[in-house]
Amino acid sequence: MSSLPALFGVLVFTFLLMRVLPGDPAVFFASGPNAGKEEVELIRKQLGLNKSIPEQLTLYLYDVGRGNLGRSMMTGQLVTKDLRERLPASLELTFTALLIALVSAVPLGVIAALKPGSIIDHSVRLFCALGVCVPTFVSGLLLIYVFYYLLGLAPDPTGRIDVFTSMPPSRTGFLMIDFLIAGDIDGWWAAFKQLILPALSMALFVIAPLARITRASMLVSLGSDFVRTARSVGLSWRHVVVTYALRNAILPVITIAGIVFSTMLGANVLVEKVFSWPGVASYALDALLSSDYAPVQGFVLLMASLFVLVNLAVDVCYGIADPRVTIE
Amino acid sequence: MCWSRLAAHAWAVTRGRWRVTCLGFKGFSQVFWLKFKGKSMRLISFKMMLQATAVLALLLAATGPLRAQTRAETLRYVTGASVNTLDPNIPGATRESFAVSLSTYDRLVSFGRKQLNGKWVFDLEKITGELAESYDVSPDGLKITFHLRKDAKFQDGSPVTAEDVKWSLDRAVTAPVLGKNQLLTGSLTSADQFKVIDPLTFEVALPKPDKLALPNLAVVYPIIINSKVAKQHATAEDPWAMAWLKEHTAGSGAYAVESFKPGEQVILKRNEGWNRGTADKAAFFKRVIVQSVPEPATRANLVERGDADLVIDLQASDVQSLEAKAKLKVISTPQYNAVTFVSMNNQIPPFDNVNVRRAIAFALPYDDMFKAALFGRGAPLFGATWEAGKPPNGGYPIPQPVKVDLDKAREYLKAAGLPEGFATTFSFNVGQASTAEPMAALVKESLGKIGIKVDIQKLPDAQMSTQINEKKLPFFIEGIVAWLPSTDYFYRNFYIGNQRWNYSSINHPELTAIAQEARFEPNKVKYEEDGRKLNAIHFSEMPQIPLWQPNQDAVMAPSVEGYTYQFHRQVDYRDLSRK
Repeated sequence: MSSLPALFGVLVFTFLLMRVLPGDPAVFFASGPNAGKEEVELIRKQLGLNKSIPEQLTLYLYDVGRGNLGRSMMTGQLVTKDLRERLPASLELTFTALLIALVSAVPLGVIAALKPGSIIDHSVRLFCALGVCVPTFVSGLLLIYVFYYLLGLAPDPTGRIDVFTSMPPSRTGFLMIDFLIAGDIDGWWAAFKQLILPALSMALFVIAPLARITRASMLVSLGSDFVRTARSVGLSWRHVVVTYALRNAILPVITIAGIVFSTMLGANVLVEKVFSWPGVASYALDALLSSDYAPVQGFVLLMASLFVLVNLAVDVCYGIADPRVTIE
Repeated sequence: MCWSRLAAHAWAVTRGRWRVTCLGFKGFSQVFWLKFKGKSMRLISFKMMLQATAVLALLLAATGPLRAQTRAETLRYVTGASVNTLDPNIPGATRESFAVSLSTYDRLVSFGRKQLNGKWVFDLEKITGELAESYDVSPDGLKITFHLRKDAKFQDGSPVTAEDVKWSLDRAVTAPVLGKNQLLTGSLTSADQFKVIDPLTFEVALPKPDKLALPNLAVVYPIIINSKVAKQHATAEDPWAMAWLKEHTAGSGAYAVESFKPGEQVILKRNEGWNRGTADKAAFFKRVIVQSVPEPATRANLVERGDADLVIDLQASDVQSLEAKAKLKVISTPQYNAVTFVSMNNQIPPFDNVNVRRAIAFALPYDDMFKAALFGRGAPLFGATWEAGKPPNGGYPIPQPVKVDLDKAREYLKAAGLPEGFATTFSFNVGQASTAEPMAALVKESLGKIGIKVDIQKLPDAQMSTQINEKKLPFFIEGIVAWLPSTDYFYRNFYIGNQRWNYSSINHPELTAIAQEARFEPNKVKYEEDGRKLNAIHFSEMPQIPLWQPNQDAVMAPSVEGYTYQFHRQVDYRDLSRK
């Protein structure tokens, strides 16, 4: 509830920003070989751009209040429909990437922290540096080149599912789940194969911050009194590292994971483009390039709401990870 | 045996609270350990996993041949653009939407094809029947009568009648659609011009004999819609069912839409009853998949690996390397109805001075630009020699007698009173960056030598079109295309009036008069003479500098045949077949 004013601010700000940007959508979309002045005017009227800005804003807010985000000129669909279809694609990709990243980053960070300054520590550092300095579209294209073009192991990088496989009945929009519900294992496998390369190239990029933060906070907690005590009373190695050190070190990792997740959702546009992934980020970018106002505004609103939700989820995770934290 | 064990474990797992704690090594077989209510048990051994993989592989192998067969009957076309509407008339329709509409709808007539330098291209001169079996033009050229095919049926099985044709063409000239402005160029402006004679005969009346009237009925927009179906979906605010037709089709075309995901893909399936093709039978491919793949490198990979059958929008560098490998068929056709320009705004100083424009024309590094931007893939429009300084013919565009000659350029600058040069900006749009960026750098370098300081400005597409429309850009790269490329059409649309497509903003009364007159000139010799005059004015005024006609590089699997370069610069799926 307390985030509503922030969301409202985001809404108005994006609306004004889009109007300030040079570029007239009516002119752009009237780009047929014979589009004349009348046609530009017609589109302008259709888009409601012939009204004054305060008037447009009021109409827009009224529409948003009724759950209508407008219509995209680019796809010709309602923005809410487009976003509803594309958001699960982005979320599925981001969740998978985050999962891969966490599963590999946390152990890497822990190992590096256990033996600081060792060969392992340095190789983890090198791996992280490589992951960060190679942009996602480069790693994406490289992965495609190796696994699709050279080895032929991966399916063609064209979206969420091979064009020859039929889609499962849409229940959640997450193909991994929908295929399981439909009991179609072949389909699940096909969708999984499509997902793994883009998820990997996104994960590579975010492993570094996660591993580094795990290492840093593990170092702190490994050096703390309670770990020394635990060691001195002869608890098993696993018990000391996992139960005592890691559990105490995990809070900053959760915070970073939350931030990484929100960033990934919006910033995975390059991966979406390279893998023709029908996600929200590439949708918003296309819209921005063609001055298609409604989708960009819808996208920003969606991202802002997701950010609020992610923060909430992170807070809940805090409570689970550290019983001292409670949500009032 | 192991399946039942696996199932039992899975059941146990879903019932209890569980977590995978660690994985370790035990002898040579890797095992996953599962902690279940405090008790550890082995979940899946490596051996079991191997068995499962083998079963899966067998399953995949079994479905292989079946897939391969349907694959041969499927055309998979990948593109960087996307389809956004099923009705090409909707304002904002993309070029890919045009291509899809050619397969889903029929028109009264269509263009034939001819060979140009060994490649198939559309033929404006040859107009063949599509839904019309034949047509007659009255001796005075004021009436065109179409005789419809008796066997033509819409995809829902109902026959195509003259009533449907009338409704569809009325829609194209009265509804707020893209077709309106196009049909105008063929003197088709009002519903009164269309008359139903009997269910199979339809008449078009013209105010003046117009040679573009018939070709205009073969372009993308005048689709023939099943009016009975469309009317059911019309509403009081939307009498022409624009909203419904955007997402549904009601046509008689060679393909029906199987699935349509705007911005992602369209899957078409063959209409078995369609027989309006040149060979009088249904189209070859059973299915056509039109898929958006934004990344050009990925498109190149797809077609090279044989996963895609055809692509026409690769980067020139990729086309070159694919051509060198000689594994695929590459058909490069100069887009002979398109021209790329360096344009100057003739109203903004210093470009309002003809000598400045001439100076620029002699200072552009044509050859280097052609190589850097297009890798030489196109038809150059520079470096010609005109005998006695007269244009050799009345066609448009024709190669100009210009080449880099910096001394000449300096003289022109001196004549313009700007011997020291000046500073200006040179703009292009982001969408064209791969070709325009190297061009711009070369222009900057070359003009720098004669004292013109150029600032390169890269604009997002929408901004660029806005600024062009507002006539604010002094100096920029643009391209034009005409569906019905005749000399007068080019000059009338791109050199007249204060409108967007007059990129150079030229206002030349003589040019305007000749171009308007040439439109209705029935005499071919006189028309040619008019064309020469227009070309001569163009050269002496140099409102903008034609550079080249870029190639359309269609890269396809070796088995794909019948590719034809079409006026809309997209692929007509009906042309294609597989060996």
